[in-house]
Amino acid sequence: MIEASWDAGGIRLRGVPAGTEVQVRPDADIVDLPPTAGRVRQDGDDLSFVPRFGFVDGTTYVVRAGGVVVATLTRPRPERPSSTEVVDIYPTTDEVPRNLLRCYVQFSAPMAQGYVADNVRLVDDAGDTIDGALLPADHELWDADRVRLTVLLDPGRIKRGLAGGSALHSGASFRLVVDPGFLDAQGIPLRSGSERRYRVGSDERRRIDPGQWILSTPPDGSRGPLVVEFDRPLDHGLLAHCLQAIGPDGHPVDGVGAIDPAERAWRLTPSHPWSSATYHLVVNPILEDLAGNSVVRVFDRDLSRPEDAPVPSGPATVPFRPRSLRKP
Amino acid sequence: MNDYGLRAGTPDVRSVGPIAFGPAGILFVADNAAAKVFAIDVADPGGEAGADSFELEDVDAHVGSFLGCDASDVLIQDLAVHPGSHNIYLSVQRGRGDTSQPVLVRIDPDDGAITDVPLDDVRFAEVAVPHAPADDDQRVNVTLSIDAEGEELQLPDGRTIHLSRGPMRTGTVTDLAYVAGVLLVAGLSNEEFSSRLRRIPFPFDGEPADTGLEIYHVSHGKWETEAPIRAFVPYDEGRSILAGYTCTPVVHIPLTQLTPGGRIVGRTVAELGFGNQPLDMVSFVRDGREHLLVANSSHGLVKIDCADIDGQEPLTEPTEPIGVPRAKEQLTGVIRLDNLGPDYVLALRTDGSRRHLLSLKVDSL
Repeated sequence: MIEASWDAGGIRLRGVPAGTEVQVRPDADIVDLPPTAGRVRQDGDDLSFVPRFGFVDGTTYVVRAGGVVVATLTRPRPERPSSTEVVDIYPTTDEVPRNLLRCYVQFSAPMAQGYVADNVRLVDDAGDTIDGALLPADHELWDADRVRLTVLLDPGRIKRGLAGGSALHSGASFRLVVDPGFLDAQGIPLRSGSERRYRVGSDERRRIDPGQWILSTPPDGSRGPLVVEFDRPLDHGLLAHCLQAIGPDGHPVDGVGAIDPAERAWRLTPSHPWSSATYHLVVNPILEDLAGNSVVRVFDRDLSRPEDAPVPSGPATVPFRPRSLRKP
Repeated sequence: MNDYGLRAGTPDVRSVGPIAFGPAGILFVADNAAAKVFAIDVADPGGEAGADSFELEDVDAHVGSFLGCDASDVLIQDLAVHPGSHNIYLSVQRGRGDTSQPVLVRIDPDDGAITDVPLDDVRFAEVAVPHAPADDDQRVNVTLSIDAEGEELQLPDGRTIHLSRGPMRTGTVTDLAYVAGVLLVAGLSNEEFSSRLRRIPFPFDGEPADTGLEIYHVSHGKWETEAPIRAFVPYDEGRSILAGYTCTPVVHIPLTQLTPGGRIVGRTVAELGFGNQPLDMVSFVRDGREHLLVANSSHGLVKIDCADIDGQEPLTEPTEPIGVPRAKEQLTGVIRLDNLGPDYVLALRTDGSRRHLLSLKVDSL
């Protein structure tokens, strides 16, 4: 009588004569698969199979001794309740340009690899998935902690002059849908699916011009926020690090930056009161809008339009001066 | 003997992505989780390479059986064939979540035997992929970790939690190739949309200079885009590369004219059609003429005669398909390619659920 059981990281076999060839394989309906890498060691009267790569929870393994199947064991999968969810989907604006390039999905916990293609999609008002709208996700674009996913729309359908044409239609609506089957890094599905609905506007094909922004300057001596209103929604991911205020001393203003809802404004609340001197808002030129137009270049430059020509790639600066509340 | 700056030790490989062989059997391995490229001496067991083809159905099930996991937990990222021995190397992520492990798998084409390349106590060198994330970008996500990883934090009630901080802006290497002392690296940012082809001198000596190149291409003579390169292949003894973009054009870039930090406009020589991604490319010689083979996400392999690329005027007509003459092979589902000696191209093919390795005879392409 041969008994097999899980034992620490391995499989313990009782009743198998020493020297018997032991092979373990994941259960599969394909013949002639190689045995799982590992080593067999004698442990008292028992044999122990220790895999080179740890056994996987939820996987069934077939154990052979002397060529005969002696056991089939399934590695238990710890039951955990779903707790991971979608925190937000960006942009948060209601209306996006028809040539929308990029969205972000922020999760509450690290996610597993390989589920984007089947679980993130664009859906039209009739509830049908818009085929070919998203760039195929064979290279998934995560941040280092795998909590923020970048979703790119197929640039081949945003660029002009190609046969495919836009996946989105001005005046219509669509939803970006994240299905609950998306597994987190623990292998657990999301608590629920999530979606955000957008109205589709017209194309946006202009460079970002910080000169068009409206700066609401705080009173000097105060710690009120500098508010920078944009002429269109900008990319949430890039906004978080592309804007900076530089003080009269040439150093960055210490404070807390925040992106307003709909990505239409950015505000900087300083740690120390503003002085009455001249500050500069410094814009990293890689900053993009929702359609991938940056401060330096348009996403898709029309060579016949001089105004589309790229501008020098240094940072753009906008001077501002806190308001004086003192009477003249 | 040139040791290429490799030192014995244990590389901290967090993930494996695109791979390519360099000089002296050194394998370049892109680690997108760590934003690094490793150069690893895989200590190939050698042996005389035969001139035979190689087929292996259900390669993911075979690799999974060796690794002790289901085929669905085998995520094959890339393949490369050792130029001397023809041993086949696969970069594989085993599992998908917290327990995911990077593995380099070796398949002997003579008998199909599967082994793995130990990643401890190997000769290796590493380089950070410049600007991924950007040096000026200090933003991090802070997540609570239940594992004993990350910065330790004591709560008032005495419990200990761990904080991990990873950068938000990352770069993903989509393809790499070695040409005469330089590692070329193409990638995709998770934030800005741009094309920077990085040239990293090898051996990796010290801090890599930012030798990123901004490469623009023009569609139909009317529209110019700077887009990420998805896949590329050097040809003409490294004097040119052909690059496939995420937005469908195939672009010729003269490598000899590249200057570090420069801006260059590539010449669009073909459009492969919307809704299609170039996935991998390989160069091969047939009847004394160099050809390129392009694997695509939506249709069959595309074969291009390199001489036609040189003669192709930049595309100006917005009609498709257009550009260099090309032959479309019937075989669909090919996702990765590499040379298996001079007579064959090894292809990794998916039929939707299963993956297979098969050899394409150069004479029949």
